[in-house]
Amino acid sequence: MGSLLNDSLVIAPELFLIVSAIILLMLGSFKVKNSAKIVLYLSTITLFFVSFLELIMPWDISIIFNESLIENSFSRFTKSIIFMSSAFVIILSSRWLIRYDEKAFEYPILILFSSLGMALMVSANDLITLYLAIELQSLPLYVLASFRRDNINSGEAGIKYFVLGALSSSLFLFGASLVYGFTGSVEFFEISKVTSYSEVSAGLVVGIVFILSGLIFKISGVPFHMWTPDVYEGSATPVTAFFATAPKMAAMCMLVNILYGPFADSFYSWQQIIIFVSIASMALGSFAAIKQTNIKRLLAYSSIAHMGFTLIALALPLSPSNIQALLIYMLIYLMANLGVFSCIMSLEKSEGESVKDISDLSGISKKYPFIAFSLSIFMFSFAGIPPLAGFFGKYLIFRSAIENGLFLLAIFGLLISVIGAYYYINIVKVVYFDESNSSITKSSSKGLSITNIACTIFIIFFIIIYTLSPIAELARLAGISIN
Amino acid sequence: MPSILQDYLPIVIFMSLCMFITLLLILPPLLIAPKNPDPEKLSPYECGFEPFDDARSKFDIRFYLVAILFIIFDLEVAFLFPWALVFGDIGLFGFFSMMLFLGILTIGFIYEWKKGALEWD
Amino acid sequence: MVIELGHYLVLASMLFTIGVIGVFLNRENVIIILMSLELILLSISINLVAFSSFLNDSSGQIFSLFILTVAAGEAAIGLAILVVYFRNVGNIEVDQINKMSG
Repeated sequence: MGSLLNDSLVIAPELFLIVSAIILLMLGSFKVKNSAKIVLYLSTITLFFVSFLELIMPWDISIIFNESLIENSFSRFTKSIIFMSSAFVIILSSRWLIRYDEKAFEYPILILFSSLGMALMVSANDLITLYLAIELQSLPLYVLASFRRDNINSGEAGIKYFVLGALSSSLFLFGASLVYGFTGSVEFFEISKVTSYSEVSAGLVVGIVFILSGLIFKISGVPFHMWTPDVYEGSATPVTAFFATAPKMAAMCMLVNILYGPFADSFYSWQQIIIFVSIASMALGSFAAIKQTNIKRLLAYSSIAHMGFTLIALALPLSPSNIQALLIYMLIYLMANLGVFSCIMSLEKSEGESVKDISDLSGISKKYPFIAFSLSIFMFSFAGIPPLAGFFGKYLIFRSAIENGLFLLAIFGLLISVIGAYYYINIVKVVYFDESNSSITKSSSKGLSITNIACTIFIIFFIIIYTLSPIAELARLAGISIN
Repeated sequence: MPSILQDYLPIVIFMSLCMFITLLLILPPLLIAPKNPDPEKLSPYECGFEPFDDARSKFDIRFYLVAILFIIFDLEVAFLFPWALVFGDIGLFGFFSMMLFLGILTIGFIYEWKKGALEWD
Repeated sequence: MVIELGHYLVLASMLFTIGVIGVFLNRENVIIILMSLELILLSISINLVAFSSFLNDSSGQIFSLFILTVAAGEAAIGLAILVVYFRNVGNIEVDQINKMSG
């Protein structure tokens, strides 16, 4: 019993999240006055608190609950980022949500449960826990995708996401069953023990390939990216903001965990796959984005391309600096995405109708100079223009690739990012130099402006923040703890 | 050979017990209960529908909701059976784990109730 | 004929393939896709239970129990999303789920 208490203390943040999510669910069900708003505020506070809690918990490695969960500085750091970005998403959504349906208290609770799933995904240490965590993360996301019940596109996005998501989970599961069969265990430590002293068998390789294809779906890497543009377009904009941020981070960290954990010794079996997915995602994301007219579809392709860039760091042999580069890149990607979505959501075409097409943004610089300015900052950052954050992230990734001798991959990434710059800068052109579209109005709220300003400051002064704040050190510690 | 028969003895006892209880439940009503047949009572019964109709007709969406909710609460049994089998070995820890699970399930049920999913009209 | 591990694995992979083909080739009804997904999950359960019995290790069976329950939850959510979609569109034909593309 002593160990139970000890183990529970180690995952105190998650336990707190579970308990508060359940309490908030009950609070919402027993219709107190204004319960939906209270749930909304309390869940934001909960997520910020849990994110803070992850940072102040002891960061040393602890393996708990019969080796089914692992906590180390990597999981602490990434979970803190995940919770924080979920909290920002709730802040972003609050005004839309209250306008859409005053009584929909389920929305923040679904985000809480999904974040909980992501947290468990990052610290899972056996295949069963990992599967349950993935499902706990995905099931609320399916519901969120079809949250606008009166909208055809939203329902369609929900169906597409559900069918393909369930298929990807089953691919993962089939792989997991093969890995279990050919190594004799579902525990990561046992699996890595088996792979380290014996030759990698063909069945195990097939299992790894299936697991990888299931997981690459979750980060929308290229052969499994088809759902991304449709789901981004069909879902409500705040939901899209959620899809673009926390789940991507969680899935990427889970890939790091599983590839450098149980499958570390079969590195040469999966390195080719990751390189292929990385190149294909960068290329497809950048080329397909050029002809897009819908902002959310464009952001979908942009996120595919960014996942390609991040995967470069994963295609390298394990070293703390590679993991550090990956984490910093993902952090910058999250902040820039939150910023872009806060810009889009503070503009609307007419009462209650959000901005859809890129042409809707034309000439907003004259009426709303700050939104135009911050939107261009985020676009320049995506494109990798120095001295913004995006440049720094790309620099770290390419440096890691060159240090490990993958020159071709680095050069290809560099060329592709030039092509990507075209459509990012095109948006800046539309915002600043096109004829003004007078019907656009601003409908900002405190939460949107705060998020927008915070992200803008983060992106512009990233180098100063990086050198002064402990972020770099924390990411380095996280990188060291993976082994 | 006799040992096999002996192995099956509990099953025979079990089946005869079943037979006895069912007969106990069926026979007395047949003998005692009053009988007033009328056409509605004798017609085949299918919950809420015309018994002989096009099978592809649309029906109330609320059946759907009840069915969906049933799936979820039905499958808790998949965990209860193994738990019941080893109940003696797992002690208080096992007992409270399952109580925690059932408690969380109950919270889902309370949500469902409060949301009005169980009200028929 | 002795039924060995290999037979179970072949059966499971056949069912798995049938399920995947059912998801992609079906052009009629979304319900059929849901059924195909269930078939896939069941094939994986066969795989796990076969391995579990072959390895004398119970974690495979535990895994398949979890899959069973999660599959039920997943099916419930899938059906609920389907109802939402049906209320807006009026049918659930796979060919007509193409309002967005590009």
